[in-house]
Amino acid sequence: MAEPQEYLVHHIQDALATDARARELGVDVQVAGDRVVLTGTAATPAQRAAIAEVVGELADGYQVVNEMTVLSADEDGAVEELK
Amino acid sequence: MTRVAAVADIHVGVDSVGRVAAGLRHVNERADMLLLGGDLTRCGEPVEAQMVANELAGVEIPIVAVLGNHDHHAAQTAEVVEVLEDAGVTVLDGTATTVGVDDATVGIAGGKGFGGGFAGANATAFGEPAMKAFVEETKREAARLQDALVEVRPRADRVIALLHYAPVPETLRGERLEIYPFLGSHLLAEAIDTAGADLVIHGHAHNGSERGVTPGGIRVRNVAQPVIQHAYRIYDLGEPAVREAPVAATG
Repeated sequence: MAEPQEYLVHHIQDALATDARARELGVDVQVAGDRVVLTGTAATPAQRAAIAEVVGELADGYQVVNEMTVLSADEDGAVEELK
Repeated sequence: MTRVAAVADIHVGVDSVGRVAAGLRHVNERADMLLLGGDLTRCGEPVEAQMVANELAGVEIPIVAVLGNHDHHAAQTAEVVEVLEDAGVTVLDGTATTVGVDDATVGIAGGKGFGGGFAGANATAFGEPAMKAFVEETKREAARLQDALVEVRPRADRVIALLHYAPVPETLRGERLEIYPFLGSHLLAEAIDTAGADLVIHGHAHNGSERGVTPGGIRVRNVAQPVIQHAYRIYDLGEPAVREAPVAATG
């Protein structure tokens, strides 16, 4: 019998926290039909790709849809005056 | 005018060369200090801390940081702190420091903080030793933060509390409710409200919201980089209030 999807989500999140390639706790993992959808933010493009790789190894038979974004680091944010 | 640049959760790993530095090119002209609210590294390895130091090399304004849970993962926090301090970063852990801005003094008291949840849905030190240890860690972090705030207040015109974990649930909006107890604790807000502060900076909650307020009315800002979507945010604390002169000794 295939692993219930809820356990798969847990196993993926555990792997993302502990696998040296990922080390990311802030990934939102959803299993829907035959897809595993990843959302959240990765620090770099390389980490984003590594996270999908780790998930792909665990989610055998599922299509991994990587919708994670990469941290934006531009400098032109607004200044907030706290008066 | 006191301009405080702040960011948290930059998660520097060995594949991050140049990313953070690129975002800090103009911070020296734009702000008077840079506050880092924890999770500077991805796994808390000293080699990652050295990469953080390299990324911060161009920053000439004072840098004050706390560590986050990621910075604790490799259980080498002493080495991580040493690398950061050698690079000129003041790392707070239940301690306080001051930064001079023109004629004013800004006090920053900081610590990692910890979880436990928020009033009405919070963990209590009851039952198994592991549960008690969890809550005691938060209580200890809150008490040390409060002591640091109390200690720095008399020698500062403005006081900022710098944390990794969240002191209020408002800045967690966007996170799943089930994980709030792992994101922060109301004990931190209680400590800050008791001691007093002008601003609270934290990170940790990547899917949260930037703005909140403590029950006592102190502004809270979640500067986790995925939340602010920029290299840092700048908060202008305005002109400092004139500090009361010490009462002259008589007799």
